[in-house]
Amino acid sequence: MLGAFAVGKTSLVQSYVHSIFSERYQTTIGVKIDQKNLCFNDTDVTLMLWDLYGDDDFMKMKPSYLIGSSGYLLVADGTRNDTINVALRLQEMASETTKDAPFILLINKCDLIDSWEVEQETLNKLEQKGWKIMLTSAKDSIMVEEAFSLLTQMMLEKN
Amino acid sequence: MGEKHNTNPSEILEAGKLNELRNLIIGLDHQELERLQNLIRDPHIFAEEISELLPYSVRKLIEKGELAIDSLQPFIEDAMHKSIQNNPKRLADILFPIMGPAIRKAVSEDLKRMIAAVNANLEAGLSPRSFKWRLQALLSKRSYTEILLANTYIFHVSHVFLIHRETGILLNQEIAAESTDLESDMISGMLTAIRDFVQDSFKSAASGSLDVVQVGDLNILIEQGPHAIIAAIVEGQPPADYRLTLTETVEAVHFNHATDLEKFDGATKVFVHTSKFLKNCLQKEKKEKKSNVPWPLIFILTIILGLIFWLTYLNFDRNKRFNDFVEKLDELPGYHITKTEKRNRNFFVYGLRDFQAGTYDSLLAQSRFDSSRLKLQLEPYISIEPAMVLKRADEIINPPSSVIINYAAGNLFLSGTASEEWVNQAIENAYKIYGVTNLDTSRLNQKTDIPQPDLEWIIPAIEKYTFIFEMNVVSLSAKQQQQFDSLVQAAVHLDDYNNMYNKKMAIYVRSYTSRTGNVDANMRVAVKRAESFASLLKDAGLRDELLEAQVLFTEDVNVSQMLRSVRFEVFEKIE
Repeated sequence: MLGAFAVGKTSLVQSYVHSIFSERYQTTIGVKIDQKNLCFNDTDVTLMLWDLYGDDDFMKMKPSYLIGSSGYLLVADGTRNDTINVALRLQEMASETTKDAPFILLINKCDLIDSWEVEQETLNKLEQKGWKIMLTSAKDSIMVEEAFSLLTQMMLEKN
Repeated sequence: MGEKHNTNPSEILEAGKLNELRNLIIGLDHQELERLQNLIRDPHIFAEEISELLPYSVRKLIEKGELAIDSLQPFIEDAMHKSIQNNPKRLADILFPIMGPAIRKAVSEDLKRMIAAVNANLEAGLSPRSFKWRLQALLSKRSYTEILLANTYIFHVSHVFLIHRETGILLNQEIAAESTDLESDMISGMLTAIRDFVQDSFKSAASGSLDVVQVGDLNILIEQGPHAIIAAIVEGQPPADYRLTLTETVEAVHFNHATDLEKFDGATKVFVHTSKFLKNCLQKEKKEKKSNVPWPLIFILTIILGLIFWLTYLNFDRNKRFNDFVEKLDELPGYHITKTEKRNRNFFVYGLRDFQAGTYDSLLAQSRFDSSRLKLQLEPYISIEPAMVLKRADEIINPPSSVIINYAAGNLFLSGTASEEWVNQAIENAYKIYGVTNLDTSRLNQKTDIPQPDLEWIIPAIEKYTFIFEMNVVSLSAKQQQQFDSLVQAAVHLDDYNNMYNKKMAIYVRSYTSRTGNVDANMRVAVKRAESFASLLKDAGLRDELLEAQVLFTEDVNVSQMLRSVRFEVFEKIE
């Protein structure tokens, strides 16, 4: 899980994953690891989910946490346009570190469509570049499971 | 033919050229080639030659991995099976030298295990430590096993994880039998994250890596390899060489799974074979080097043996006291014991008791035997023991103090002086005394024959006697009884002398003791002995004024006196 500070990464996953660690780990060592078990095409798959601390001025994301990733969810906040820029920057870094591992851009907080800042045109451009983009809402549980399934599919296909 | 060849120069030349050509092409001369041909043609020589190489070749094939031991196994097993079927004795002969020691070892190991198990159970069940640990477990909400392990072992490896270095994915794990399952996947990931975090955060120590995470008594030892790391969760302080075990395990995993690790795609099944390496890391060491001496068992056995010894001693002591009592009862005048028996924890005594025999209460008290267990079944009878006959005579003829009576073999002897009236009555009544068949009055009223009371002969007649007794018992044997009677007779003469000359002569009844050891205790025993003897004399009819019990120390007297003896000295009482 990559994304700017307070885009809702933890909220997106917390009700979908098995977790034993406190969120304090994110602010201390910068990552919290959760587990997500799912069945994809009759195959049991275990996803080890590294929920990274939101990249901001106080704390930069540690690139070493990305090493060995099979895929990642890039999260941005639809109500804050600048989070798209952070996502773009993070994607560049991740793409290099993970050797082009598959990813999905999740534009979160789609339940707050009235205060939406991100323009459709920006998203269209990214889609043209081949990015997978999904509009999600952690609050209303919109498209979260689907995002995990799609990413799993993409990772398995890459392998 | 050969000669013909040799004589033809052109042929010799040809042969020489051919040889040279052969040498150039295959490097073998004619002789060498012939030797090789012979070798192949003769199967015996060929087999001998091959036999030297064959074992070496097989070894090489196995080393290269081209021939697996597994593939040889069925042949070897079949061969052994057939050999045993054909001649089982042969295998028995081969195994014989190792069977004995092996069986002995197995039995001894089993015995050791059993003793250790008994010990452990005793310790666990009885020791206050186990209660303390249970309380600790209750308060800390940890399992009793965890507390027990933490307190019993110097170190104890509960979990070993094999983690893919790049992804943090758990490849395999081994858990100690007594430990609980953890969320190993997430813990592995978190460990990897922490390791990355530490390495990123403290870049100055770039050459180093996170080797230990310590939380209280818990240590997580991390050993890094190029593609995988091993994390061992250890309670307590592991020995220094445990790190070497981890290093060797990482090396072994990399050696055996180099390709799997390099091309890791998330599938972990292939790493199940690393379990045999990981299990080596599940070590533990007991806190106290257990002594080979099974103290708790020895303690219990000692208590049991002590109890058995004590009960045996009690039984022995009771029997001894009973036997002593019976022996003395049998010696008591008027008693005759015929049989004793021990039944249902009770002691039965069968025998006869004279109507006029004294009581045995003091004897019983002296023997300290539990009277509630004593069952006496004594039939009444009339005894003709001298003491009993004399007792009856005393009652029937009632002699005055001036008359002494004696009895022996049916004869009652009267001596001394008495009135004619009494003598006549005595003659008349003597035959009513059971046991008396004849009355001898020849020494009665023969004043000329009876010596006048005179200290010259009375004093030696009293002082010549010495009575020696057991430790603290004053009881007369049959022989002593006769001496006692004579003593009493002499004392009666002394009393007569007092009456005749209005004197106050008396007798010291002396007991002797020593200053060695416990003087107070010696003194008490000696006083008791002197008083007991004096009371025996009083019982025999002597007046109280005539006797005075006294104790002397043997060290204080000139003549050597035996301990536990009673002697007498005549002295004059001064008012």
